Amino acid sequence: MMIIMKANATPQQVEAVIEKVKSAGLNVHLSQGVEATIIGAIGETHNIPTERFEGLEGVELVQRITQPYKLASRQFHPEDSVISLPGFNVGGNQIAVIAGPCSVESRSQIMETAIAVKEAGASALRGGVFKPRTSPYSFQGLGEEGLELLAEAREKTGLPIVAEIMSQVQVDLMVKYVDVLQIGARNMQNFNLLRAIGETRTAVLLKRGLSATVEELLMSAEYILAGGNNRVMLCERGIRTFETSTRNTTDINAVPVLKNLTHLPVILDPSHSTGYSEYVAAIARAGIAAGADGLIIEVHPNPAKAVSDGRQSLKPEAFAAMVKQVGQIAQIMGRTLASVEMSSKHGWA
Amino acid sequence: MMIIMHPGAPKEQIDAVIAEIEKQKLSSHPIFGVEQTIIGAVGDGHYVAKEIFEALPGVLEVQRISKPYKLASRQFHPQDSVFELDGFTVGGTEVPIIAGPCSVESKTQIIEIAHAVKEAGANALRGGVFKPRTSPYAFQGLGEEGLEYMAEARAQTGLPIVVEVMAVSQIAMMEKYVDVFQLGARNMQNFNLLRAIGETRTPVLFKRGMSATIEEMLMASEYILSGGNTRVILCERGIRTFETATRNTTDINAIPVLKNLTHLPIVIDPSHSTGDSAYVSSIARAGVAAGADGVIVEVHTDPAHAISDGKQSLTPEAFAKMVKQVKAVAEAVDRRLVSQHATA
Repeated sequence: MMIIMKANATPQQVEAVIEKVKSAGLNVHLSQGVEATIIGAIGETHNIPTERFEGLEGVELVQRITQPYKLASRQFHPEDSVISLPGFNVGGNQIAVIAGPCSVESRSQIMETAIAVKEAGASALRGGVFKPRTSPYSFQGLGEEGLELLAEAREKTGLPIVAEIMSQVQVDLMVKYVDVLQIGARNMQNFNLLRAIGETRTAVLLKRGLSATVEELLMSAEYILAGGNNRVMLCERGIRTFETSTRNTTDINAVPVLKNLTHLPVILDPSHSTGYSEYVAAIARAGIAAGADGLIIEVHPNPAKAVSDGRQSLKPEAFAAMVKQVGQIAQIMGRTLASVEMSSKHGWA
Repeated sequence: MMIIMHPGAPKEQIDAVIAEIEKQKLSSHPIFGVEQTIIGAVGDGHYVAKEIFEALPGVLEVQRISKPYKLASRQFHPQDSVFELDGFTVGGTEVPIIAGPCSVESKTQIIEIAHAVKEAGANALRGGVFKPRTSPYAFQGLGEEGLEYMAEARAQTGLPIVVEVMAVSQIAMMEKYVDVFQLGARNMQNFNLLRAIGETRTPVLFKRGMSATIEEMLMASEYILSGGNTRVILCERGIRTFETATRNTTDINAIPVLKNLTHLPIVIDPSHSTGDSAYVSSIARAGVAAGADGVIVEVHTDPAHAISDGKQSLTPEAFAKMVKQVKAVAEAVDRRLVSQHATA
């Protein structure tokens, strides 16, 4: 950490900062320039907040040099993390394609969608049963009934299931049903929820918050990793910007940036990051070309009648066309699309 | 356009709005709801400023339904615009790659880079001679001397040259040298400059402003098109967001959105949109995978000693690797790089 003193800081103030650095167990490297004094604090600093020094008298600015996260960093774990799910791996050579409706609406809807996405080449099934809707008057999800339906769809297709968890109180219930807990963008910094999920050993799909920086995303992942759950996948799902022609702005830069900063797999969600079904395939291709480890896509057999996110949902036929295009991009990246065998081979029952 | 009245707006106000609609040679279609009245104003496509209605008493909001630009719109011109440059086309099947340094620094520098990028597969040479630098104390470019060097580089390599124009006063001089004018992000809404470029017949590489929406970009390109200069190439070069891990945020969505809204070609500038040479190849691939018609990349033979943008400049070797990757992606989306052939 670099502590930059104000131009008019007194020698006593500099001395006080040095004492504080030493008391944090760090070594001091002092450099006195013509205009300003800079105090380097050297040692294990990822768990020392910058606030500890920012409030001291005479301090202008405190800058971190090393990353404020550790378990999530590639420095700490140089090899890519490969997370095994029933039937395939995420983060290695295989590209995961998770697909399904925004919300589980009914038995026939989820079964029909599950079979359609499986046929089109999906490797996992998504479906929300607890829905974080902007309006409290919108459909809030089927709850446990929806989980039963997802489990039945898994039974039938062999696809592992990904469902969003919204609250700590849902953890015990959901880990009985789901293969992957999704943490939605609105909960990226729900730290109690992150800690509770860190205590489980269920794989996690952690979505980036709407206005969260890449660093904040990694800090949130650190909460889960710190609890001992190291099966975390990160998801870029678009950020809030001034642009209004799409629902969000896909931060495609985040894909290679995350691959550089962390060993965790990176999944792209072009459905939310664009908000329009006509742009999903183009951004899915872009994501894989940029190095993403997988995709999560909203698919609905009848988007016009979907209770949520119909505008951004692909029909099964459009999804199948997208999978083909993505497969070609994956191939030139030296990767293959993950495919899942039927459930009996994986002992679901 | 839809004119939404305040809840409870009296009949006199509604009538006044309808009268104004008719005065503007539009037809009015009022919808009387329980709480609010909405008045549709329908015309034959002539431009009417929405401000005319916004200021009338009782008006809550005015929403445009049709696009505020015409010449740039795909509705007006359904086929992709394809234009010829020296030795290749932009906007068709070919995906051209424009490469070169941020700034022309010296004759040896630009000649060396021109040969290196040509060798690695570039189809056009970029190089700034008038530089819009954030600090007035930073290197401002070599000016006309730099243009002479660019012309020399073109003579030696056959690569057409792309150079940024910063002011109306530079146009007459630059036209004599350059094949493509670049209009920089900071000048995207310099309307006098846009109009003056519209009067020329030199192709334009038109960069998106740092905080400009796609619609604002298309409106600005309309300035050039309306002057009769139809050879406009749009460029996504990243937008300003809250994210600090990269210099800008590549708005990759803009590629398919623009392909949908306009017939103009769209190229991606991953050098500026990331600001870091480590990420340029990934984003170049992503751009072409998303449907971009070309790539513009900063290349320098000695990035560490570049006068500007060294951090985001590729070495010629890294650029050659990027070209190979982009070629593979282009072929995966049924496009191809410009076929290499000897230039006159």
